[in-house]
Amino acid sequence: MIATEAALIARAKAGDVDAFEQLSGAYADRLYMLLLRLLSDPDEAGEVAQEVMLRAWRGIARFQGRSSYFTWLYRIALNEANRALAKRDRQPPSVPLGPRELDRPTSPVEDPARQAENNELRQALARALAELPPPLRTAIVLRDVEGFSTQEAATIAGVSPAAFKSRLHQARLQVRSAIGDDALAAAGG
Amino acid sequence: MSDNDDHQWSQRHLSHYVEGDLSSRARRRLDRHARDCVDCGRGLRALRALVYAVQGLDGLAGVRAPATIFDRVRLAGPGGSPSPQNA
Repeated sequence: MIATEAALIARAKAGDVDAFEQLSGAYADRLYMLLLRLLSDPDEAGEVAQEVMLRAWRGIARFQGRSSYFTWLYRIALNEANRALAKRDRQPPSVPLGPRELDRPTSPVEDPARQAENNELRQALARALAELPPPLRTAIVLRDVEGFSTQEAATIAGVSPAAFKSRLHQARLQVRSAIGDDALAAAGG
Repeated sequence: MSDNDDHQWSQRHLSHYVEGDLSSRARRRLDRHARDCVDCGRGLRALRALVYAVQGLDGLAGVRAPATIFDRVRLAGPGGSPSPQNA
């Protein structure tokens, strides 16, 4: 029988580690992908993911269900990612946005010249995102890459929807400026 | 309202337009301006392409979390206290 999320939360709050693993394990892959996107480093993302789970475990007794468990966990992940980013030098990471995104195989039916253009654009995008200040990077990753609604993304980021939108618009404008309108317009066909 | 005012305003609101955040009146204002303004028309196309391209950065699909993700939780155990090395 599959335990419901509410039952797993109750058991986890009572100190049941297995229940916590089952509960949080359902979101582990997605959470790790978020960390990879924000940190661009698989090793660091793995480290931070462990810390996120530990913090969630230590804090689950205080989880009151005002947001979904997933949102709560994502918020912890975002805080931990920001903490890790704040520790770094201001230099952009050497492997932007996750290596696989840059090595993504191209479609066999895509014209080679188009493939090259698209790969170039992906790399430029990844670099531009990596260079954004963390709050702006977070906004564009949550809204445009992860596909959260503005309301959900704002809740995860811990800001008002208006503040979140302001960050999102700033982020897009900075990325647009970094890549250039001509390159973007060409990619858009 | 001068053309320059319209231009500055439109440039500031291109992303809001793409996001669907403008009122219908504001949307019409930007539409009207962008029809005749090469810069703003190109800016709109660029922002749409940008959002589309960022949405396409999905190459992480299928990536799995490392098996070690619960290691610190297991070390901490039911008490929730981390071992000294993880404190």
